[in-house]
Amino acid sequence: MRRGNAKWPLAILLLMIAAIAGCSAAETGGPPGVQRDGAEKVLTIGNTIDNVTFDVHDHGNTQVESIHVNLFEYLVKKDGSDPSKKLPGLAVSWEQLDDMTWRFKLREGVKFHNGDPFTSADVKFTLERVAQDPSLIDYSSYSSIKQVNVIDDFTVDIVTKQPDPILLARLSRISSGILPEKYFKEKGVEGFNAAPVGTGPYKFVKWVKDDRVELVKNTEYWGGDPKWDRLVFRTIPEATTRISELLTGAIDIAVIIPPADIQRVKDSGTTYYTDLESARVQSLLVRQTPGTVTANPKVREAIELAIDKQAIVDSVLGGAGVPTQEAIGPGILGHLPSLFNTNIYNVERAKQLLAEAGYPDGVELTLSSPASTKEVAEAIAAYLTEANFKVKLEILEQTVYKQRDNSNTFKELALQGKGNSMFEAPLPLEIFITENAKGQTDYSNPEVDRLLKAAAVNMDDKERESQYQKVQQILAVDRPRIFLYQNKFNYGVNNRIGFTPRADEMFYAEDIVLKQ
Amino acid sequence: MDLSNAVHSETAHAPPISEAGAKRGGLKDGWKRLLESKTGALGLLLLVIIILMSVAAPLIAPHDPAKANMAGKLLPPAWEAGGNADHLLGTDGLGRDIWSRIIYGSRISLIVGFCSVVISGFIGIALGLLAGYYGRWIDAAIMRVVDAFLAIPTILFMMLFMLVLGEGVGTLIFVIGITGWVSYARMIRSEVLSVRERNYVQAAKVIGTGDFRVMRTHILPNVLSSFIVLSTLSVGRVIISEAALSFLGLGIQPPEVSWGGMLSDGRQYLATSWWVATFPGLVITITVLAIIFVGDWLRDWLDPKLK
Amino acid sequence: MSKYIVKSVLQVVPVLLILTLIVFILVHVTGDPVTMMLPDTATPEDRRILTEALGLDKPLHVQYGLFLSRLLQGDFGESFRYGQSALPIVLERLPASFELAAASMIVACFLAVPFGIWSALKRNTFIDLLISGVSVLGKAMPNFWVGIMLILLVAVHLGWTPVSGRGGFSHLVLPALTLGTGIAAEMTRLVRSSVLEIIGQDYIRTARSKGLGERIVIGKHALRNALIPIVTITGLQLTNLVGGSLVTETVFSWPGMGQLIVQAVSTHDMAIVQAAVFVIALMVIAINLLTDLAYQALDPRIKYN
Repeated sequence: MRRGNAKWPLAILLLMIAAIAGCSAAETGGPPGVQRDGAEKVLTIGNTIDNVTFDVHDHGNTQVESIHVNLFEYLVKKDGSDPSKKLPGLAVSWEQLDDMTWRFKLREGVKFHNGDPFTSADVKFTLERVAQDPSLIDYSSYSSIKQVNVIDDFTVDIVTKQPDPILLARLSRISSGILPEKYFKEKGVEGFNAAPVGTGPYKFVKWVKDDRVELVKNTEYWGGDPKWDRLVFRTIPEATTRISELLTGAIDIAVIIPPADIQRVKDSGTTYYTDLESARVQSLLVRQTPGTVTANPKVREAIELAIDKQAIVDSVLGGAGVPTQEAIGPGILGHLPSLFNTNIYNVERAKQLLAEAGYPDGVELTLSSPASTKEVAEAIAAYLTEANFKVKLEILEQTVYKQRDNSNTFKELALQGKGNSMFEAPLPLEIFITENAKGQTDYSNPEVDRLLKAAAVNMDDKERESQYQKVQQILAVDRPRIFLYQNKFNYGVNNRIGFTPRADEMFYAEDIVLKQ
Repeated sequence: MDLSNAVHSETAHAPPISEAGAKRGGLKDGWKRLLESKTGALGLLLLVIIILMSVAAPLIAPHDPAKANMAGKLLPPAWEAGGNADHLLGTDGLGRDIWSRIIYGSRISLIVGFCSVVISGFIGIALGLLAGYYGRWIDAAIMRVVDAFLAIPTILFMMLFMLVLGEGVGTLIFVIGITGWVSYARMIRSEVLSVRERNYVQAAKVIGTGDFRVMRTHILPNVLSSFIVLSTLSVGRVIISEAALSFLGLGIQPPEVSWGGMLSDGRQYLATSWWVATFPGLVITITVLAIIFVGDWLRDWLDPKLK
Repeated sequence: MSKYIVKSVLQVVPVLLILTLIVFILVHVTGDPVTMMLPDTATPEDRRILTEALGLDKPLHVQYGLFLSRLLQGDFGESFRYGQSALPIVLERLPASFELAAASMIVACFLAVPFGIWSALKRNTFIDLLISGVSVLGKAMPNFWVGIMLILLVAVHLGWTPVSGRGGFSHLVLPALTLGTGIAAEMTRLVRSSVLEIIGQDYIRTARSKGLGERIVIGKHALRNALIPIVTITGLQLTNLVGGSLVTETVFSWPGMGQLIVQAVSTHDMAIVQAAVFVIALMVIAINLLTDLAYQALDPRIKYN
């Protein structure tokens, strides 16, 4: 019988498996591990998501930006603790020539990583590209720029279509990383992504997708010898894994520490915990379309009063938040202190209001939330139930949620977090203008419209501030959104590192210090 | 996706006699085997308890499984320091009673487990039979469909059906059922392939027995034992895959409770509040074990091939 | 046999075609990538502009046609997320996935085959109960649970291995153990039941009655027949693994296919989903083919027409 043949296919299969395993394991070098000894100074940071691209114009993500700021530089830098303060970057000084023209004097003697000199041509190329190409993701934040005029090699004029009070904010974020015109045009987008080049203190080494980005010191940096020899940004999506990496010393900084692990980071003896308020505000989107239960302002007020925001912040978030009634917080022009860090929790009054609104026995409504804020949504549902609401909880997977969001098909309430990468009022507030709110909340208040449109082109800071503050006051009463809390973002840091969180969540390696 | 088990034997027996003289496959025989096999009896007992528990949930659960209580969150089990008798197994991140959630969770886990296995089994056996028996292009076509199914990511199916049918237990059962038939088909097919050439099958065909009859009387019984083993393993697998889907945010959503969901939600507390994830895990293990033991007993009882 | 191989290979083409069509429909129906790509603050106008720029406003059949024509030239299109050609991105992930799959299979086989056989031979004894119990335990614990426990115990507490990520051999240990033990748990019971079936057969009794030593009986006769189920199981598990294991990859920050596919599906990155499914389909077909051929070699009675 030919039973003997049986062995061969199996043997071959197993051999193939072993061979592949052996080869692969051998070729990927040793582990990066901990870098305590040895002459090389390596900073390792654990992010939750991977870099997406090195085309600064084609993404909108803070964690991605936090890698890029070491590779590319902005004309204007935000101050770490006060984002409204702007510091010189690649621009040494600037002035407004008229309402729509800004003149920037550029830094001389700066070179790109490939040796090309930095001049105004690069600024013109970078800004006009993102301002004029609608297929780039960050286009809408720059479309206010009409053109960039080169005055000489180190002077540019940026011309806006309308008076733009927040131009400096635009120039100090994401898509304003100055790209090398000649090199970029030569390589094209794909080539640039494979070998990106900027003016920053660190140069690109490699990007292993969903694993890590490695940068190495730029010895020709105009600002002097960079502090670190190498930067490694690792992608560690699972929270327990990230904390474990931090605790074993394999990474120096870990982002997003979940409430359950905050104490572990504090108690470990090798790490410390630090946090900072973000510009991100969690709120409930409230439908005001006539015919909905929530079209009644008493019902909306009842909803807000029924929720104990402080308890949610303390219990569910582990203290990583501040209750609020406004869209923008401290540090941003338009912030209204009387609406911040307030807790108007009053369940009895809520029940009363509900009865006054005509629902003494309670009323049904739907609360939708993405899976990422499931616990918060469940807590809110519990509070609302206490106040006689009958809540149908709808936890949606991320994509499904986004789709419902875009098609404006949420029912009465939807839990949402909105960031504010520009640290300016228009982003979070302009959604309340009637045209923009159509279908979503169907909110319409002509006074709000008037104030917002005026503020958008008002170059007088003081006037603008009071305009935005008035808007916030109206919104707090009208409640097209019920603001819940402002997030704090947090980090776990190894004791050997001195790190102060920045309000814009960036990692400027040059500001991170090796203590030992 | 589960495993396949191609088994063939030299001869297919007519039902033999068990030791006590009862006819194999008969009720007396089954009962006798149950008493003989300690594991089978234990398994059946556990299973009955779990089923009763899920049916009587509203009566025996001490708390409302969906009731959140911020003040009492992450309480340890009653026997640990800080625990209290009110919450026997402690509370989770939102202060909900774990024991009550386990009781209610049994409903979803059992329903999803059994129903999806029934769907997968049905489709898988049907297609596997056809493929193995008729061979040639039917076999080729079905096997290529198998390949195609294996290649498409489950998550894609899941998202599609969720969007079209809405989230919920029904969709979950449907998707797991639709994607799980593959292993049954392959297994049945390989069994059929080996049995098909047997003398008695050939003989039956020669005398003109209809295909369907041949399949039903001669082939199906021989396939039974492997089917049972596969099914019992599958139920456990399905309960666990619900946990994996929760990991992605696609599993059972609140206010419904499932063991898989509890496991997934509890993983963030593994280092600090171990009980949140461990108890659902234990219950799943016990249930799966019980089902497997029962499966073993069923196989001993009903499989014509075994002694 | 060679005719069978040729026929199977030829059948691959229609399968792949139908597969691309199914995936195309699924991805389109489940949502649109523009939604996922734009920041929250984008206006409907921005959405319209991006949709046009990506060519997504064309009717579906036109889009599919374009996709097919490019496919014939080996081009799966550009990934929305990365802005790069999709196929190289997918292929880039294969080594990592292979490594993990192979290592896990080795762990699984080393555990399941000996233990499965042993528990079959010692049926209904304490050993059998113990092995069955442990294997059920292994099955009942989901991957992420085992993974996280291993990390906490072995990497953090004992410091024997790194926590996560891909690197040298030491990085492979925990993820392979995690995946491997899960597979082994299932395999053990199936090996056991296969061996049980075989032992109960006439020819085994015949061999025994011939006075052959137990070792030869088991070693030569029983095991050879047990190879078919083992091969089948191995083959099928491999087909599961080639698609990557999202959960294990996420827990161990392993840059494999699983994570890539899930992210691509979530962002409706059509090009990557197509490319990944295509590559996986090829591997699955190849493995199934090999398994079928192994059957024929192992058991001459199995014939394919």
